[in-house]
Amino acid sequence: MPITAGRAGTAARRGLPVLAAAVVILGTWQLAVRLFQVPSFILPAPSEIASALASEFPTILSASNVTVRAVLLGLVLGSVAGILVALVVSRFHKVAGPVLAMAVIVNCAPIVALAPIFNNWFGVTNLASKAGVAAVMVFFPVLVNTARGLLQISPLHLELMESLAAQPRQISLMLRLPNALPYLFNALKLGSTLAVIGVIVTEYFGGPSNALGVYIAYQAALPRFAEAWAGIFVASLLGLTTFGLISLLERLLMPWHESIHSDET
Amino acid sequence: MPESAIISVSGVTKEFNSGTDRSVTALTDIDLSIAEGEFVSLLGPSGCGKSTLLRIMADLTQPTGGSVSLNGKAPGAARRDRDYGMVFQQAGLFDWRNVQRNVELPLQVAGVAKETRRAKATSMLELVRLSEFAHHFPWQLSGGMQQRVAIARALSADPKILFMDEPLGALDEMNRERLQGELLRIWSDTRTTVVFVTHSISEAVFLSSRIVVMSSRPGRIATSIDVDLPYPRSAATRTTPEYFKKVTEVRTALHGTSAAQDAP
Amino acid sequence: MTAMKTPSTATTTPEPPPQREVAITSTALARTTALRSRLTGGVVGLAVLAFLAALWEGYKALGQATGDRLLGIPFPVATDDLSMPHLGTILGALVEPARRGNPTSLGVYLLGETSVTLREAAYGLVAGSLLGLALAIVFLHIPPVSRGLMPWLVASQTIPLVAIAPMIVIWGGKAGLPPWVAVTGIAAYLAFFPVTINALRGLKSPPKVQTEFMRSVGAGRLQFLLWLRMPAALPYLFAGLRLAATASVVGAIVGELSAGTGRGIGRAILTFAYYYSNGPEKLYAAVLVAAVAGIVFVQLLSWIERFALRNRHSR
Repeated sequence: MPITAGRAGTAARRGLPVLAAAVVILGTWQLAVRLFQVPSFILPAPSEIASALASEFPTILSASNVTVRAVLLGLVLGSVAGILVALVVSRFHKVAGPVLAMAVIVNCAPIVALAPIFNNWFGVTNLASKAGVAAVMVFFPVLVNTARGLLQISPLHLELMESLAAQPRQISLMLRLPNALPYLFNALKLGSTLAVIGVIVTEYFGGPSNALGVYIAYQAALPRFAEAWAGIFVASLLGLTTFGLISLLERLLMPWHESIHSDET
Repeated sequence: MPESAIISVSGVTKEFNSGTDRSVTALTDIDLSIAEGEFVSLLGPSGCGKSTLLRIMADLTQPTGGSVSLNGKAPGAARRDRDYGMVFQQAGLFDWRNVQRNVELPLQVAGVAKETRRAKATSMLELVRLSEFAHHFPWQLSGGMQQRVAIARALSADPKILFMDEPLGALDEMNRERLQGELLRIWSDTRTTVVFVTHSISEAVFLSSRIVVMSSRPGRIATSIDVDLPYPRSAATRTTPEYFKKVTEVRTALHGTSAAQDAP
Repeated sequence: MTAMKTPSTATTTPEPPPQREVAITSTALARTTALRSRLTGGVVGLAVLAFLAALWEGYKALGQATGDRLLGIPFPVATDDLSMPHLGTILGALVEPARRGNPTSLGVYLLGETSVTLREAAYGLVAGSLLGLALAIVFLHIPPVSRGLMPWLVASQTIPLVAIAPMIVIWGGKAGLPPWVAVTGIAAYLAFFPVTINALRGLKSPPKVQTEFMRSVGAGRLQFLLWLRMPAALPYLFAGLRLAATASVVGAIVGELSAGTGRGIGRAILTFAYYYSNGPEKLYAAVLVAAVAGIVFVQLLSWIERFALRNRHSR
């Protein structure tokens, strides 16, 4: 089939500019630091960061371990709660609109400000305080998106199901749920970065000494900037990996989705 | 009225916003009887209520007055027994199901076992000649192919009746003519009774065994014209003098009904 | 719905008024329906608020009555006044003096700090949006740049901003800039991304008919952008701006945490968190004010949006 050949070609065509951009960015960075002799407290060269990462690797790894668990727990708790509430809210069409509007408004509040409160509630070193903030941050986008996906179904599809005399349960299972999946995954992708931010900010307000957010703040204060940047690098890698895993899950669960195959960007 | 009427509509009226000062009469006093195995087209200008009439037969809209009987039952009961299949103007396939599983949908709603479903869908795809696309997703198909899947889906539960609401309206002329031929072949293979809504005179003449001409404001049946061109019809049928004569006859009937009312 | 309903209502008026007045009547009608839906929205909103307040006090009362234990299972959050002050105490704290020996009430103090934060957020929002829009236009015209940079932009948003905040503050300090500039920079860093994504989607939104029409009349690149793509992108752009506004407030607060500016609601939250045991209700009051401020900030933008898009009946 020509499809496989096309896919390999697409992958190459997509991957190449990404790699090129990385090489250009890193090269310019390294060159600029070396050429203008930028002191490391302003910006360490990529090579310095790499060597700091190599020497600090065990410490950063164990710190990431703590943070990763909080991120994943928060992501799971927030999305499960968001999906459940969306399922309930979408059953009651009358209240769904105002409740969702309310959720959108609440979501405009800076939820990270809850961090010190959660630290006090669950304890500074407790995983629950970090995961809790992440969960609240993930909850709202997941709730709003999932509910929209459940409610905004095509009238034609609904009419088709009616012509087939489908039960409400069948309409939910065969139409509303699959329709909501792309909406849900968009929220989860957003949520994956939010969860990382939420956990690290909460760690900043106080956390176990072996957490990534604490590590970065500590190294920056020392100041050992190459090490701090190594920590930042790992933290963003963490966010990217979560993002990537969710995208992978999306491809597995929604092989039909056009945006995955389409080449328009 | 034929003895073997599978669809009978008597005295059906439909008023929108009835009881308010904005009420619009869409259909008035419709009597129609369709025998088993007929291919009947509802033909008329837009706004004559032909789609509304079809939707009333399919129990997707409730009439304001009158009664409908489908296969000897009320439309609601017929719908629940899946006595009819429906094809809309848009294919309306589920993006998240491949072709095979889209065709299986009516059977799945009816609670048919998986193996039976699969076998049935396979034979339906053979009928519409899309077997090799069974595992494609809708976005990978052209508009004409999607509409063929929609036809296969409508027929998968072996309905006695097939309702089609301008199913070829969104296609280009060439695809349209090809699908008209396909549709006649499917009809002769399955012997399903077809009620077909269209505003194309040539389409109605080529396909139907009978054309019900409707007029608008308020929507009512103007006349019923038997199309006695012999089946099977092919592309050659479209060039015969009998075909042209029929087209002219239908056109005259149609214009006779609407010319008087088309002026604003 | 309203768009479909209004014309038919306008035609039932006994004497068809001139075209302009029809438009006015129909917008007035649309306004009353919008008002009604907002009224029910407000009622539901109040109901939700009341429900949350009742939940808070009910949970606290239950905990106090049962000793934070139900059927042998301990409550996840303790209900004493230190962990969960009464709502009355929290709201009451707003009118009491912020510090001993100073008559300024906590509410006034917090509002002052909030205005500092919102100013930083607003500057950051403007800077970030301009950058985001510029990036979107570049991406639109040079697809390889878009393909190459887009994944890295996504990656840039996964960098935990608290982590880079100290760096940005240090950069600002070395350049001799006041701390609020660094905070604004962090707000801008968070704000640009949603603008880029949404603006790009909006710039690509015109259907083929419209782009082909523009090509048929020989429109140049700039005309394409100014007369077709930009106006078409406006609704998308505002959607992005709303997200960016939320993000810029978060950025400003987080930036203040590490900036050491001494001003701003983020700083106030940090201070009250530090002296938590002295007055937990002050921290709650500060968080409440921050939340309300963030919501008001975004609502202001929504009003601008409603005004700018008042002649479009979409959605």
